[in-house]
Amino acid sequence: MGVDSEIVRLEGVTKEFPLGFGRRRRVLHGIGFSVRRGEIFGFVGPNGAGKTTTLKILLGLIHPTSGSARVLGHDVRETEFRRHIGFLPENPTFYDYLSGGEFLDFYGRLSGLERSERRRRVEMVLEWVGLTHARELRLRAYSKGMLQRLGIAQALIGDPQVVFLDEPMSGLDPIGRKEVRDLILRLRAEGKTVFMNTHILPDVELLCDRVAILVEGRLRYLGSAEGVLADAEQEADLVVTGLPPELGERLAARFPTRAEGTGERLELRVPRKDVGSVLAEVLRDGGEVISVAPQRASLESIFLSAVAGGKAAGGKA
Amino acid sequence: MRALPATHAIARNTVREALRSRLLYTLVFFAVLLIGSSALLATLSYVERERILQDIGLSAIRLMGAIIAVFVGVGLIHREVERRTVYTILSKPVSRTAFVVGKFAGLAATLWLMVGIMGLAFAAVSLVSGAPLGWGHLAALALTCVELALLVAVATLFSSFTTPTLASAFSLGVYLLGHLVRDLRDLGAASDSELAERVTAGLYLVLPDLEAFDLVIPAVHGLAIPPGEVAMGALYGFGYAALVLVLAAFVFERRDLR
Repeated sequence: MGVDSEIVRLEGVTKEFPLGFGRRRRVLHGIGFSVRRGEIFGFVGPNGAGKTTTLKILLGLIHPTSGSARVLGHDVRETEFRRHIGFLPENPTFYDYLSGGEFLDFYGRLSGLERSERRRRVEMVLEWVGLTHARELRLRAYSKGMLQRLGIAQALIGDPQVVFLDEPMSGLDPIGRKEVRDLILRLRAEGKTVFMNTHILPDVELLCDRVAILVEGRLRYLGSAEGVLADAEQEADLVVTGLPPELGERLAARFPTRAEGTGERLELRVPRKDVGSVLAEVLRDGGEVISVAPQRASLESIFLSAVAGGKAAGGKA
Repeated sequence: MRALPATHAIARNTVREALRSRLLYTLVFFAVLLIGSSALLATLSYVERERILQDIGLSAIRLMGAIIAVFVGVGLIHREVERRTVYTILSKPVSRTAFVVGKFAGLAATLWLMVGIMGLAFAAVSLVSGAPLGWGHLAALALTCVELALLVAVATLFSSFTTPTLASAFSLGVYLLGHLVRDLRDLGAASDSELAERVTAGLYLVLPDLEAFDLVIPAVHGLAIPPGEVAMGALYGFGYAALVLVLAAFVFERRDLR
């Protein structure tokens, strides 16, 4: 892979924060990965894993203790290249005394856009995020979803090549999440690279091309989103009825993880590989299948399986 | 030069924020009220009524300006970090130095605007009361503006690395010592102790001499104020403020914005 197609590159990045009295806490342990041009990259991990710290290092907001961080081929301590990036922080709060239009004009100025270009871009991004009607409205009157979309508009005002999003779905209702998801997909369609911090698995599944999993400041997985999600669906919940009592008892004894039975009705959690044989057994003995629901493992268990499966990241992605 | 438009945009936004906040209007209202009531207070005296009126008026402008400079200044950068707006600003092609200078310039400009408004109220009250107005009053207001810019720079420095509470304490300390430091130096020079002399001379070098900006007494008494003295005061004040801002930018540049 050519260096030109690498939008983000981290190498051996560590970060320690002082705790006082000379003590330090290490939150990143030499992480390294790269993000390719045009992809939606999911940076995934539980709260406190170090995702936001990593993102802030990429934006030059936090300085790494050691290692190197480059974005668009530039050292993150430089300033000028930032005209080609956009950033949406988690739960953004903005200047509520400004109207939507004034707010975007301000960020357009910061991005170095000339007046005519600024006007054009403000109109364009407002339309993009569906907030043209709220142009004159002060931000204190915006809903959470509107603020999130305006935050994305702010990130896009300078027509960036790469957009960094920190938990972009945080605190949104289902409609708001759908809107933000659609926006992210549209960004990729426009040829932009998206780096997204998230801990919501369905978002990873729906949006991301590649994923890095960070646990306690260490990279545990780096690869395709499908790869990690395939591991996630390892069990299914079955609800069956009309079973002969002895079959019910046998199945409950065989799959005790979550076996609940009331009368003839039985609920079971069964490994994916056994679903077929269990269903065949139930149907053969005259039972009826009410539902089969694949169960997604928690992020934590995926992290564990990623580690146990020897998928710990190393080398180049 | 890229830094200038960004600094200008940040300063403009800081002024806009101040102009849209109620706190500032409340403070200006009280300052104007105080200037107005100086006419009333002056009637309590049988002698030098105009001078008392103008003394109270100019001192009120200085004090009110200093209060706003310190108490708004100490939250200047801290508030941006707290509400996380600094993250999006610095994710644009904006250096941290441009950010610090822009925030400083915005508050300084706001304060100058307020000194202008209060100065107009002062002139109106003086005219109505028949008190004389002249170059001396203008010079006193001009050096008040320089002093306020210096105080904003000091508050910005403390705001760049600590909480508003601590920054207020530090800034008020500098403000009080700044008004005493000249007397302290003179006391030290007159004392027999060499250590006292050295310490007070050192303090005078490090701390800003805020008495250098006090032209209230000569202005009110109609004494001659050479323009050179005002220019030197301005040079000293802006020079000191610039050094403090360099230090603020240096500190903020190294800080992790967690």
